[in-house]
Amino acid sequence: MTNPSVGIVGGGPWGRALARAACRTGAKVALHSRREAPGDINDLEITDDYARVAAARLIVIAVPSSVARSVLRALGDHLDGAHLVIHGVRGLDPEHLETVSDIVREETPVRRLGALGGPVQANELIEGTPSAMIIGSRFPEVTAAVTRSFQSPSLRVYSTPDLRGLEWASALVGCLAIGVGYAEQAGAGPGLVAALISRGVDEAARIMAAAGCEERTMLGLGGYGDLLASIALEDRPEVVLGKALARKVPLDEAMALAKLRVEAIPLIPRIAQFAEENKVDAGSFRALCDILGGKRPPVVLEKMFAA
Amino acid sequence: MAIRDQAPIFGFNEAREDIVRAVISRVTLGTRDPLLALNDAAYHETKRLESSKKSPEEYRELAEWQKLARTVGRMSDGERRQKLAEIVERYGWDVAGNFDPRVFRVSSKLLPPVVTYLLAPRTLARLVRDPRRLVSLEALDDKVRVEGPLEELRELSQHGTAVYVPTHLSNMDSIVFGYALERAGLPPATYGAGKNLFTNPVLSFFMHNLGAYRVDRRIRHNLYKDVLKTYSGVLLERGYHSLFFPGGTRSRSGGVERRLKLGLAGTAVEAYARTLLAERERRIYFVPATINYLITLEAETLIADFLAEAGKGRFIIEDDESTRIGRIANFVRKLFDMQGSVVIRLGHPIDPFGNRVDERCRSYDRRNREVDPSSYVRDTSGKVMLDPARDAQYTRELGDEICKSYLKNTVVMATHLVAAACFERLRRASPAGDLFTVLRQRDVVVVPRDDLAADVVKLRDRVNLLADRGEIAIGDFTRRASGGDLVEHAMRAFAGYHPAPVLSPRPEGVSICDTNLLFYYQNRLAAHGLAWDTIAPPGMPPARPPSFEGKDAPRSAVRGGAQ
Repeated sequence: MTNPSVGIVGGGPWGRALARAACRTGAKVALHSRREAPGDINDLEITDDYARVAAARLIVIAVPSSVARSVLRALGDHLDGAHLVIHGVRGLDPEHLETVSDIVREETPVRRLGALGGPVQANELIEGTPSAMIIGSRFPEVTAAVTRSFQSPSLRVYSTPDLRGLEWASALVGCLAIGVGYAEQAGAGPGLVAALISRGVDEAARIMAAAGCEERTMLGLGGYGDLLASIALEDRPEVVLGKALARKVPLDEAMALAKLRVEAIPLIPRIAQFAEENKVDAGSFRALCDILGGKRPPVVLEKMFAA
Repeated sequence: MAIRDQAPIFGFNEAREDIVRAVISRVTLGTRDPLLALNDAAYHETKRLESSKKSPEEYRELAEWQKLARTVGRMSDGERRQKLAEIVERYGWDVAGNFDPRVFRVSSKLLPPVVTYLLAPRTLARLVRDPRRLVSLEALDDKVRVEGPLEELRELSQHGTAVYVPTHLSNMDSIVFGYALERAGLPPATYGAGKNLFTNPVLSFFMHNLGAYRVDRRIRHNLYKDVLKTYSGVLLERGYHSLFFPGGTRSRSGGVERRLKLGLAGTAVEAYARTLLAERERRIYFVPATINYLITLEAETLIADFLAEAGKGRFIIEDDESTRIGRIANFVRKLFDMQGSVVIRLGHPIDPFGNRVDERCRSYDRRNREVDPSSYVRDTSGKVMLDPARDAQYTRELGDEICKSYLKNTVVMATHLVAAACFERLRRASPAGDLFTVLRQRDVVVVPRDDLAADVVKLRDRVNLLADRGEIAIGDFTRRASGGDLVEHAMRAFAGYHPAPVLSPRPEGVSICDTNLLFYYQNRLAAHGLAWDTIAPPGMPPARPPSFEGKDAPRSAVRGGAQ
């Protein structure tokens, strides 16, 4: 059995979609999954052995952020400094605001890290409809390996050296997408939605600057681009959740409707707190806290435009 | 034979030619575009020499560079390469230090007597009659303390190449650090010292013979930088323990470095990769360290330079206290006067990739799994590669680790505590205060002694809590002394060294006089949030006061900072 060139950890829709995209470039992919293979992808090796995934030098983490640490700790036993590890996990640790790559650094010996982001959606990767994604890494080797393994006529891979910025942008977009879903359901017109988005993005960029990231990362493919894609999607979990909340569905039921875990829920109040500590105006995030708490639209709007 | 006598530096003179040749050939062959390199060098040098106060020597140099600038365009490629080699060769020899082991042994032993001589020439005469006392270092033993995992570091120095990366406050640092290595039974380290330091006869003597090579900071072009980097890289590759000040220049503010340049130290990854390529793996490890002074030799000049916005980019202060023998003598006298007035604290060693290393130079990740450091310089097919872009990033992350170590190993002294307490008083006396209004309150505020002592104790108790969590260090005296004793100790340290009074005793209390110097000394605690933090580097939020709620050490809100 020849060694895979790309190892993917995470058998959910996102992991499978990434595996599909990599297979399309001719890469030999090993997918770590605890579930049985549904047989939707040919030429894909499915395994429940981390050592087999670690036989690849490029490893992609595509698990929910809540299990990222335990997965990385187990995987770390099979890794060394020669591995390149990237992740496509949206979310920050809601307690200490650690990024997933901070966790990779803590749990594995790997230093050459990166993260995936941008507007690309799982179904686009599966169907091969043209889209774009972005790899954030300070290591040109990582950027090159990801481009080699994922770029195809139907997927354009852009890059940024601002890894941390991309991770924060992805997480903050997840928060803002709830607000977008909410506003649309509550009957906001295109002008109001655009105003909310622009304010939200601007705020997010300033929050990111306070966290040591580059503001412009939020204004690019990994921030604005990602958020625009989410508006267009009816089934994006954050949007579904926002819409449900606008229909006065209680939070726990709304979360069930969203089907997937929404990483943003515990994060929103934490980001609002972070912004306050760092003296950044964050009306949108305070308003999002209210939305999660079931407050009414006019109050929320006032808050959003208050700052 | 003692451990330190086996260090490669003792064979330096035999290897010197070989090393310089290696540097010359590597830089010459590595320069892709000789025309660009020569033009750049000629441009910068002409500009520098035109604006300097010209000596006959400089006139000659200037004419040479001007001629080069005129003719380089017409030269053939061969001629350019030859010219390049000539210039690189000249720089190479200029940089190469001198290390005479015999002189090293004498001069490292001679440090205390020479210092004594500066203090009182007659004592030296007495010492000479009693040679045993002449070679004794005991005179300095309780004044200069060396702390840290010394046993481990001694063992480690036989298994790998050390790169010492201390904080930088003073021109005394390299001498003090060299002395600390000697005291700790660690082998000497070679280092690059500013050429300006070689003009002071006393400093120059030690510089030359404690393993220094010369760095001319006035020369700003890339070719010279390449020579320096290559030189320090070749030394590391050959196993010479090295010393770099990764902050780049002395800390003007007096604060602990929070962002590093790591220019020369950044050659470590490449040097290590080259030992692998040559199939002679020699591991390299970094030892972060702090050098802590009760008082700083050049405090007045440094803080004045910091406060004069324009001065921030200057590399060399032409005329500071370290060029005046009288001030050095005064400083050392003060140092002799007070116990524990200099503390060098060595941190735990790490590899160039930020991993902990043990005493056999084995690397461990944060989950304590052993990891092969060579894996970090291998590509996806397992081949060892030289890759400057990759190494720059490793080095940047290493810089973050070193800064974390600096914070943990900062040693708090009475002068820092008292300065921070006084400065807080100044700040409260000027409620609207921006930094400069606060600084303007010279001789305005008088604090009753008991109040000041109480403030100092409150601050010190917070330091003790942080120290218990391993987030800062504090000596036994400072940890336990009464507030009154701490104030007394600090006032005694300031008085008699700094020419103008810093704090002066009045019947109604302590009068706050030199606000600039108090700012300088309080800045040492700024990065911990224990003093007013106006000196955070650009793009980094000021440190917030640490919280002491709950039993567990709260982790800071955002870890890692900018990457």
